[in-house]
Amino acid sequence: MSAPFPACVVRVDDEVHTLEGYQRGVPRWCTGCGDNAILAAVQRLCRDEQLAPERSVFVSGIGCSSRFPHYMNVYGFHGIHGRALPVAEGVKMARPDLHVFVSTGDGDCCSIGAAHWIHAIRYNMDITVVLHDNQVYGLTKMQVSPTSPQGLKTRTTPRGAHLEPLNPLTVTLGVSNVSFVAQAVDWIPELLHDIISLAFHHKGFSFVRVLQRCPEFMEGAFEPWVKDPSRTLLLVHKDGIELKPNLAKVYRNQEEHDPMNLHRAREIASSADPIPVGILYRNPDATRYEDVRKSERLYTADTTRAVLEKEFDKFTIWPAD
Amino acid sequence: MCDDAMSANLLDPTVSDQAVRRAADSRDESVMLDLHPAMLARYKELAKLRYDYPLVLSRGDIGGEIVQSLSGIVDSLLQQIAPDGIEGERVRKHVLALEREIRALAMAGTNGSLSRLWELAQSNLLARTDGGGRAALEDSLTRARTVLALDGEVIDCNGETPAELLKHVWDTVESDKARRFRNRVDRIILGLSEILKVDFMKSEDARKPERLKHSVGTAYENAFDFEAMSQLLGASSRKDTLPRKRRQRIDGVLTTLKSQRFFAPTLADAKHTSGAKSHSFIFESCTRALAAFEQRLPEMVELVKAITIAELELENRYRESAHDSFFDLFDQNSLRPEDVALFPSYLICMRDDGFNASERTQLIETLSSGLPIKVLLQSDDILEDLPIARGKFSFGKRASQVATTAVGLHSAFVLQASSSHLYPMRKQVVRGLQYDGPALFSVYSGACASAVHIPPYLVAAAATESRAFPAFTYDPAAGPDLASRFSIDANPQAQLAWPAYRLDYEDQEHQRISEDLNFTFADFVACDKRYSGCFAKVPRDQWHENLIPLAGLPVADSDARTDKVPYIPMVDGDNALQKLAVDDGLIGAARRCAELWRSLQELGGINSSHAQRLLAQEKELWQQQMEREVAALKARAEPEVKAPNVEQAPSAPTETSLAQPEAAAEAPTDEPYIETPRCTTCDECTQINNRMFAYDDNKQAYIADPDAGTYRQLVEAAESCQVAIIHPGKPRNPNEPNLDELIKRAEPFR
Repeated sequence: MSAPFPACVVRVDDEVHTLEGYQRGVPRWCTGCGDNAILAAVQRLCRDEQLAPERSVFVSGIGCSSRFPHYMNVYGFHGIHGRALPVAEGVKMARPDLHVFVSTGDGDCCSIGAAHWIHAIRYNMDITVVLHDNQVYGLTKMQVSPTSPQGLKTRTTPRGAHLEPLNPLTVTLGVSNVSFVAQAVDWIPELLHDIISLAFHHKGFSFVRVLQRCPEFMEGAFEPWVKDPSRTLLLVHKDGIELKPNLAKVYRNQEEHDPMNLHRAREIASSADPIPVGILYRNPDATRYEDVRKSERLYTADTTRAVLEKEFDKFTIWPAD
Repeated sequence: MCDDAMSANLLDPTVSDQAVRRAADSRDESVMLDLHPAMLARYKELAKLRYDYPLVLSRGDIGGEIVQSLSGIVDSLLQQIAPDGIEGERVRKHVLALEREIRALAMAGTNGSLSRLWELAQSNLLARTDGGGRAALEDSLTRARTVLALDGEVIDCNGETPAELLKHVWDTVESDKARRFRNRVDRIILGLSEILKVDFMKSEDARKPERLKHSVGTAYENAFDFEAMSQLLGASSRKDTLPRKRRQRIDGVLTTLKSQRFFAPTLADAKHTSGAKSHSFIFESCTRALAAFEQRLPEMVELVKAITIAELELENRYRESAHDSFFDLFDQNSLRPEDVALFPSYLICMRDDGFNASERTQLIETLSSGLPIKVLLQSDDILEDLPIARGKFSFGKRASQVATTAVGLHSAFVLQASSSHLYPMRKQVVRGLQYDGPALFSVYSGACASAVHIPPYLVAAAATESRAFPAFTYDPAAGPDLASRFSIDANPQAQLAWPAYRLDYEDQEHQRISEDLNFTFADFVACDKRYSGCFAKVPRDQWHENLIPLAGLPVADSDARTDKVPYIPMVDGDNALQKLAVDDGLIGAARRCAELWRSLQELGGINSSHAQRLLAQEKELWQQQMEREVAALKARAEPEVKAPNVEQAPSAPTETSLAQPEAAAEAPTDEPYIETPRCTTCDECTQINNRMFAYDDNKQAYIADPDAGTYRQLVEAAESCQVAIIHPGKPRNPNEPNLDELIKRAEPFR
């Protein structure tokens, strides 16, 4: 049934957004960098959902991945190192009507920004976070990152990285009030898109770790997994991702995993080989900070002033008439 | 109760039925003075009984309990403070005594909040108690008072109850609506103000040194060179300010939103308003309400227009080419139902005394207008029209007829109830007031001047019990059909023609006797002293078998004379049972009342004649079908030789038929191609040749033109592709140099 006449007129000339419409400038990322795949997947999502550019914000910290907002033709905030999440939370708090995305890297999120990361998971605000994890500091020309594999020789670890890498999935799944955790890889673009799309539709803090290749400083690091589909464990479920036949034929290593099963999610997250891909955990009922802190009252500057005046008046001593 | 001998010998002991009738026709008005219908006898001392009234009208959200009964509140208190045991029993006794005292105060006409009446009742009780009991009483009441969390106006059942209750619920519904409106409009105002603020920040005025200095505050004003800051900001500021027309549009919208008078301004924006008083929405007649609506219509249109424009502006979707002309022509015809629903509804409180034909017509027109107008039509006397001819009762003609007519409009919410049933029907009252369209509340208060010897609550309840003023609701929003919309569930024993009750009493030998009786229209009329002439007391010695309860009379043949004499049971001042013969006029009226109730039952889905007729038809068809089947079975029982079944059994699926068609193996092709869905958008190939390789709508690579480059470029792209999805195929140009080497390199990508 068509909308009533006035609504038709009011909605006339609604814009249709194309994928190219979300592109701004030419990415400075290296050829072959996984960031390009993430950008394409996110732009597909924006096009499919017809997200209004003026109602979408991409916030980032520092690093290769954090150049992301520059290449999106929407609002962006290229912030300071490790502080993408608090900025994004502030945006969401002030403007809950906006779609807020965060692009952060393994250094930005898991090293200098780790404290903010932990609390952002617990706050569970409705934000889509993509962790671009190439396991190395690329922008500053190859230093060790918290997720670098043990033994990786970098400019800061010439004898090889000393410690076991931090696992962003197990860390996230260990924080109370976690609500959405997924993993994707940049070399299966269809799933990358599907997972980011599910993350976007989740109401809460949706955390997607994307394992991505860095052809410049981590050449061949994921080659065995790219070449051997059996080393990728696809998590399928009716409440998670459902594989199309073409992918199911190639990636036969699959597990039926209920995203509500936190215990199993933690076990799966611990696996580095095969690499799990899919939705590890999703709890739509987790408390969202913006909901519990939502004020019925709209605090405009005038309201704040009026309320303060009223409070001050309680303590004012008026001269006698 | 004791059925003592009758004080008056109205009839001769050998009297015939006709004589009883004559006696009934003699209209001895004095007999009704201290009589009550037998069913009401046990409620004589109403103040000592626990029932719904008085009600407490408390403030709160519309979803919560905003109308509560005092008994319910006390029960909830007792659950908290009176555990099982002696101590709890003591508290329970004291608090129930307080409840009784509050009820008595309310019945005596004491007004005020629950807290006020509580204090009054408590001091009355304490004043009447002395000694050790006083301290215990004070302790119980203090404990109960401590946990009493709510307060509100206490109302008893009287002539003011319908209006007080409806106004309270209306006020709560409208407060909720006002809160939502203010929230929406305040957000719009804030959003538009921010657009203007951003624009101002781009202006030269915003960058003037003194303004910059002011914005920094006094603490650090010496730390900056504001002249330099002003120049610096001026050099880098954006010049794309708001177009003049858009600014004017936003200014106009803000003025309209801030000056609206449909909702009271909030604390913050009170200073922006011109001081004009907000509109009032409570009226006493349809004429005034409609005139006010008409007069405010242009303001409504302007406000809706402003909100619509503002929301388009905030979403950045206002297109002057399309929207200007639309909003130029925006008028009352552009208002959609959801726009009208934004505004407060109009509440009209009127009584049906002196309600003339023209007002009735106007009320029906108002209810059919679709406008958000809520009408309370209160009746204080539904038997008011004294019969011109005998037995011509009005049956609440004015209010009831308007209510049943309004049901026929199909678009108005209609609720009919006596005051006694308003509390159990409070959720329906809320629904009616929340309904976006018109609503009619037809309420009988029970405060009838000619029934002063019975409390209004009992008169109102009797009106519903007797079907004289049945309760029903018609809710157009409840569903598409009558079954969803119309309900008579609130009536007592709605399945029956008259509600049944059991009367227990003692006879002269002190033996317990139980009788199953019905409460009829005549029982209700017996509450009204104006109609005492319709009854005649039958002496006990004439209680013979032909004296039967009125409900036992056949429904039809109202004029036919039978040998039965109908009576209604009543109780006199000495608590003695009396039987009163009912005159023919009233019998006829009772039959008409029963007919009206019967039609309401049908509307409510009870004993529907259509359904019953259909059921009978279906039953007959089913029986015929059964008979045919039985006959057929009998015929088949005779042995008959049948040819062997030569029907071909379905053949088992062969392996070939089960096998799914195998997807054609991807044979190596001579044409170059890319497995596009697997492309990771890494730019490797497009950087080699962006005419040969291009991205599709999903930003994934495909071969746009294989002839736009060399075979070498195809092979190099395949080698550099990190996910190895480029397949170069065979060379297209046989003259390209070093083909042999390239074909060898392309081999892994076949």
